[in-house]
Amino acid sequence: MLFSLRELVQWLGFAPFELLLQALALLVASVLLVLKVDGVATGLSWWGVFAPFFAADGLSTYFTTIVSVRLFQDGEKRLAVLRLFWILTLLSLKFVFEMLLCQKLGEQSHELWYGLIMAPVFILLQLLMIRACRVN
Amino acid sequence: MRMSLAQRVLLTWLFTLLFLIMLVLKLDEKAPWNWFLIFIPIWIFDTILLVMIIVKMAGRCKSGYDPRNGSQNLKKKAWYLAAMLLKLAFCLALCAKLEQFPVMNLTYVFIPLWALLIGGMIELGYNIFYVRRD
Repeated sequence: MLFSLRELVQWLGFAPFELLLQALALLVASVLLVLKVDGVATGLSWWGVFAPFFAADGLSTYFTTIVSVRLFQDGEKRLAVLRLFWILTLLSLKFVFEMLLCQKLGEQSHELWYGLIMAPVFILLQLLMIRACRVN
Repeated sequence: MRMSLAQRVLLTWLFTLLFLIMLVLKLDEKAPWNWFLIFIPIWIFDTILLVMIIVKMAGRCKSGYDPRNGSQNLKKKAWYLAAMLLKLAFCLALCAKLEQFPVMNLTYVFIPLWALLIGGMIELGYNIFYVRRD
């Protein structure tokens, strides 16, 4: 639409397969969210609703590790290390955001305000902007 | 006229940042605004994208347009248009639910998003598994 798949992969650094995995996680999590909020699955905890995201993050980390090891073996050491660091930074920021949000929703903690919960997302946005400048 | 990648990234980044700032202000109860106002960056961004798609589709009607390989391109553009409308429907339904209809089932709000995600995943899967094999 606004970006082609190639541009998106270049900008975000994720492989198309990882993007598919994250989209699938979003779909499953949104179905679980609807089931919880509409009262169909009242026993489902917020951690359960967010489980697809955590699973996708884990699988993505696994996939990235394998790709980086293969790149390292092929002699592309610099590329392997850069890719590993970039993806792990993105995934860890995403994971922190999901965990804080889960904690806020589950415990209704007043100490956690949404500005704090969103902080990893704001950092992520700045990193993506810097990467966009480098990619160009 | 086609926008460069930098311009497109900047456009996306700016509207996302504005929306997130307004969302945080609303959720932390610092800004007692209507949910439709909070979504203003999304409305503007979607309008820009819709206009861009419609202008590209209308470009086919120009005199001297070469229709070869055009049907595939038109199908793609039609899917993009449908995707944008689905996203707009989801955002509108979400705002309506948050603002005026708290008793409305969340299922109805999420139906456009699910359709959009399934369509997007089919396109992505086609690009990964089918086009590469070719």
